[in-house]
Amino acid sequence: MVDLSEIAKSMVDMDIAKTEELTKAALSANIPAEEILNKGLVAAMQVIGEQFEKGEIFLPELLMSGEAAKAALRLLRPSLLKQEGVRRHANKVAIGTVQGDVHDIGKNIVIMMLETNGWDVTDLGVDVAPEAFCTAVKENDFQILGLSALLTSTMPNQERTIAALKASGLRDKVKVAIGGATVSQRYAEQIGADCYATDASDAVKKFKALVQ
Amino acid sequence: MKTLTGADRIFMALELQEPDRVPHFELTLDRKVREAILPGASYDEAVEYFDWDAVVTDEEDQPGYRVETLDASGKYFRDQWGTIKQDMGDVNAYPIEPAIKSEKDLDTWRPPDPDESWRYEELARLVKKYKGQRAIAVLFPDPFRVANEVRGATNHFMDFVRNPDFIDRLSGLIRGYYLRYIRNCIEAGAEIIFIQGDYATTRWPMVSRQHLAKHVIPVFKTLVDEAKSRGAYTAKHTDGNIMPIIDLILDTGIHGLHPIDPLGGMDLGKVKEEYGHRVCLIGNVDCAYVLTWGTLQEVREDVKRCVRQAAWGGGFICMSSNSIHSAVKPENYVEMVKAIHEHGKYPISI
Repeated sequence: MVDLSEIAKSMVDMDIAKTEELTKAALSANIPAEEILNKGLVAAMQVIGEQFEKGEIFLPELLMSGEAAKAALRLLRPSLLKQEGVRRHANKVAIGTVQGDVHDIGKNIVIMMLETNGWDVTDLGVDVAPEAFCTAVKENDFQILGLSALLTSTMPNQERTIAALKASGLRDKVKVAIGGATVSQRYAEQIGADCYATDASDAVKKFKALVQ
Repeated sequence: MKTLTGADRIFMALELQEPDRVPHFELTLDRKVREAILPGASYDEAVEYFDWDAVVTDEEDQPGYRVETLDASGKYFRDQWGTIKQDMGDVNAYPIEPAIKSEKDLDTWRPPDPDESWRYEELARLVKKYKGQRAIAVLFPDPFRVANEVRGATNHFMDFVRNPDFIDRLSGLIRGYYLRYIRNCIEAGAEIIFIQGDYATTRWPMVSRQHLAKHVIPVFKTLVDEAKSRGAYTAKHTDGNIMPIIDLILDTGIHGLHPIDPLGGMDLGKVKEEYGHRVCLIGNVDCAYVLTWGTLQEVREDVKRCVRQAAWGGGFICMSSNSIHSAVKPENYVEMVKAIHEHGKYPISI
């Protein structure tokens, strides 16, 4: 019998090979993929997220655990997609770095944490124009749109994207979250964003609250 | 009493003394901002207009730093370390493809040649024109930042856990280049060795204190030691919340620390109280919000705040909290300089 808490432990321990091995074993033992995701990966990410928030671990450890999570997710994804209703009911978010900005490591860490917490995440990439964000929102059923900007000079494109959503009649279709080194709660309120996240673990908490 | 030059002021501040007024300069003044204030002006004309107490030559701005242009627009290029970068038209170009993708690549990867003479032409020009009047600073990236770009940020960070020997090998090669570069700069007349590269995000240091102490600080310290042994001053720029590691940085013996980042929650007054006896503080007029969106009055108040918090007893150079980047309102930078001159005279009376 595979103890799913061992998968969580191997992720927290940043042991990519062991995480893969245990995930394979769990799937072979016919444990549903969603159960492995929730009791293994999501449980691990809660611990990892808390450790990161408290300053007990840093970017190297977070990224290594993230690699372990990605390895497990690669194995789980085919089964998750087959499981009726699982992906349809997963919370959906799209995230991109705004126009004029190509910084992506922060965005990628947020994506990793969200995926490991069971979110269905679409990565819109970097240097994304407001119109492209609008198209993505129009053609999909995202609950949250995340806008990342690292520079003061590209922050205005977060505001422009919100304005573009309004002009296209799409603003009420999606909650808008912003993040980035120079962004703040004050700025989020100023431009009419629904949420500001300070970092990846904060994003997980705040996005969960946004969709409840 | 002798009239102090800008260079005198800067050196006195770096030696934790009080000059006649708080010195100031900027590491970077965006061209668009400069053009808006002084249409058609050169760097030198801006220096003289603002009466900067120091001049700066940035290694990454030298023509040979971009080794190869990769597209017709000139937006994509390969830098001297082999990293492919995208020029976003702002302060720094952003790395988009690393030079070293595996440990095997390091077997054949070589740092650039620090003895190429073009590297020192702009420095020589500034020394000839300003030595003795304005302090001469050379700005270049920290080996930690170079390694992060050369290796790719995600892989570089993960190497701290999975392959720290690789970190040390790569840093060692980069350090070797900069030891020679520092020597050459000082021989050409550089007086301040200013090393820039972030060690922290707005929340925390990027890597643990243990990793920093073992793999990053020792490399940085050898550069500081090299510069000091040759008679130069040293300064470090890092954004973010460095409070958990500030002692490690200061223990390297740097003369100055920039910017005491307000975005990282750093408090200039508290840092001055706790560490002002051992380092010159450089900063921290807010360039994320105040200089970008603030009113002239808000800019003036922020300069007064900096002077009030950090100028007492000397050991303070007033500067923006990062750079005068492209989103800074030109009139706000003009106001900032005026305010420094009006409120920064010693004895401070704010």
